[in-house]
Amino acid sequence: MGKLRTEEFQVNMGPQHPSTHGVCRLLLTMDGEKVVDVVPHVGYLHRSIEKICENRTYAMCIPVLDRFEYVTAMSCNYVFALAAEKLAEMEVPERAEYLRVIMLELNRIASHLIFYGTTAMDVGALTPFLYGLRERELIVDLFEMTCGQRLTYNYIRVGGVSRDIPKEFVPKCREAVKIIGEKLSDYEGILNENPIWIARMKGIGLTDPQKAIAWGVSGPVLRAAGVKHDLRKDDPYSIYNKFDFDVAIRWNGDCYDRYLVRLDEIRQSLKIITQALDGLPEGDVRAKVKAKFKPPAGEVYVRIENSRGEMGVHLVSDGSTKPLRVKTRGGSFNQLQYLPEIVRGKGYLIADLVAIFATFDIILPEVDR
Amino acid sequence: MTRDELKAYIESNFVGRMTLLESGKVEPMYEIKADDLIEVATKLRDDLELKFDFLCNMGGVDTRERLEVIYNIASTSKLHRLDFKVILGYDSPAVESICPVWPGANWYEREMYELYGIDILNHNDLRPLLLPEDWDQGHPMRKDWDAPDFVRMPEL
Amino acid sequence: MGLIKKVPVYTENIPGGALVATSLEQVLNFGRAKSLWYLLFGTACCAIELMCTGASRYDFDRLGMIYRATPRQADLILTAGTITKKMAPRLRKLYDQMAEPRYVIAMGGCTINGGPFYYDSYSVEKGIDHIIPVDIYIPGCPPRPESLMEGCIHLQEVIRKQKLSDWQEK
Repeated sequence: MGKLRTEEFQVNMGPQHPSTHGVCRLLLTMDGEKVVDVVPHVGYLHRSIEKICENRTYAMCIPVLDRFEYVTAMSCNYVFALAAEKLAEMEVPERAEYLRVIMLELNRIASHLIFYGTTAMDVGALTPFLYGLRERELIVDLFEMTCGQRLTYNYIRVGGVSRDIPKEFVPKCREAVKIIGEKLSDYEGILNENPIWIARMKGIGLTDPQKAIAWGVSGPVLRAAGVKHDLRKDDPYSIYNKFDFDVAIRWNGDCYDRYLVRLDEIRQSLKIITQALDGLPEGDVRAKVKAKFKPPAGEVYVRIENSRGEMGVHLVSDGSTKPLRVKTRGGSFNQLQYLPEIVRGKGYLIADLVAIFATFDIILPEVDR
Repeated sequence: MTRDELKAYIESNFVGRMTLLESGKVEPMYEIKADDLIEVATKLRDDLELKFDFLCNMGGVDTRERLEVIYNIASTSKLHRLDFKVILGYDSPAVESICPVWPGANWYEREMYELYGIDILNHNDLRPLLLPEDWDQGHPMRKDWDAPDFVRMPEL
Repeated sequence: MGLIKKVPVYTENIPGGALVATSLEQVLNFGRAKSLWYLLFGTACCAIELMCTGASRYDFDRLGMIYRATPRQADLILTAGTITKKMAPRLRKLYDQMAEPRYVIAMGGCTINGGPFYYDSYSVEKGIDHIIPVDIYIPGCPPRPESLMEGCIHLQEVIRKQKLSDWQEK
């Protein structure tokens, strides 16, 4: 008997699909059960944030940019504030810088906890989702105590932060750090050695470091492929060079390593938060900023290490109260672009594709903006 | 390389091809001529002292007087960063695709093509990326763009 | 006997148990209100709050709300997040695929009138109520889990007051 003749067919996945983390549409070309090619279609969440920012004053841009990457809204606040400060050559009080670092790292942990939960759920385990979001609530409580919001904070402003932390923040934060540190071993215990988890994750979705760099992939995805690239060390911003922490790195570049890198990062973030809480100085939390803040004409690109890779803003000012152009860059944009490269022709199943998508930690607001 | 070393290196190695602009506040900002773009970009990537292997970001800018395409590049091994731009006029703006140099530019160029109407030459795929498939209202990121249901925020 | 207390019924004790008589309307409405299965339709920020509501601390399940991934099994569509012009036809399609009776909760400012993206946005649908009919609006950007749960309880009250004749006319 000769070889069976097969015919390729197309499967549409999304835009409403629980494991596309939002509204991404993947057009899959299938050969039987194997994925031959994948074409991502995006734009279902394109909210024209960049256009809106062009008609807002600098202070009003920040709440809009909160929605640019809502899982780590603090980073969006920070990256814009940093760009505006660099344009205006503004000094930020030291206490504000410490508070910013604490908030950014707490937010990074919150984001990784969501990653932990949703990835496990995509792969078929529901318990980690409940675990991850249980500890995330501790962090959300801290944010709520500080700025009154659970998700979109508008806390980091041009020149500092909007207000000082309440008295009970520091003890509560220490307690949360302790609890999360303890629970991390639970997280690892339930998944790391789990044979199903290993079968679904190990050796799946291999990334090539050189190609990944060329495609602009950054963050944990790049670090899991053995590239020691972390902007907190390589292009230090804020006061990160004052803290002692390691860059989490793994070498295989598969889904399993991407998962491990993120868990390691939670540990390093806890370390940074502890150091920042210990060294938290007294003083002002906001530099004097005029009500009509007008940076001089010019342009600047700043980038920070977000939980999904490099987050950046190219800010162009014409010297008026409103920015001329706010071009945002999110890690997911490049990661999603790179996704077809690692799936094409490898013979992965749809279930593998879901695992790859989840461990790339792509969220769509960052892609569509 | 530090910022000053980088400036000096580029001044001596890219004579007449990269013009330093004053608008760059932190990192140096250069202008590159549109027809020289690919060659200069390839040299920036392949030069052993520069090794700009990472395209951070790119996008269009409408300054009300002209269109610009900005590129932010970085090196993952040498850890320095650089910005450059190509300046274009309003009538039939076009720029060469830099996907051969940095493949990650693909979607940025698609986005720019539909939002700013900047034509990308030699691009393999210029389907709409962010806008609806049946969009027929022009290029919304242009400053003079308007539509019937587009509401401007009133001045406070 | 929680059910008996909440639903107007006629009961009579008979040997070995009780005889219960009530209207079909009451029983159907009670069943519908207490098992609202919602479609997992999270587009933006509100989806994270929806996830939190479904997770450990807030425990959505106790309202009888269980998520379904397909519209064909869902009674309720919770539009958690911004609906853009590109997404609007898909939302309509999802709604059309749901079986009657179906309900819609507009969660968050974006779905009510565009919210923070009302001004200066060229791609956001200014409210979903001209795409699909909405039963309950929950304001907030994003609404807290508590307000989401309150909205769902309100919807349950709406369902309780339904008349069977309304459905027959449709």
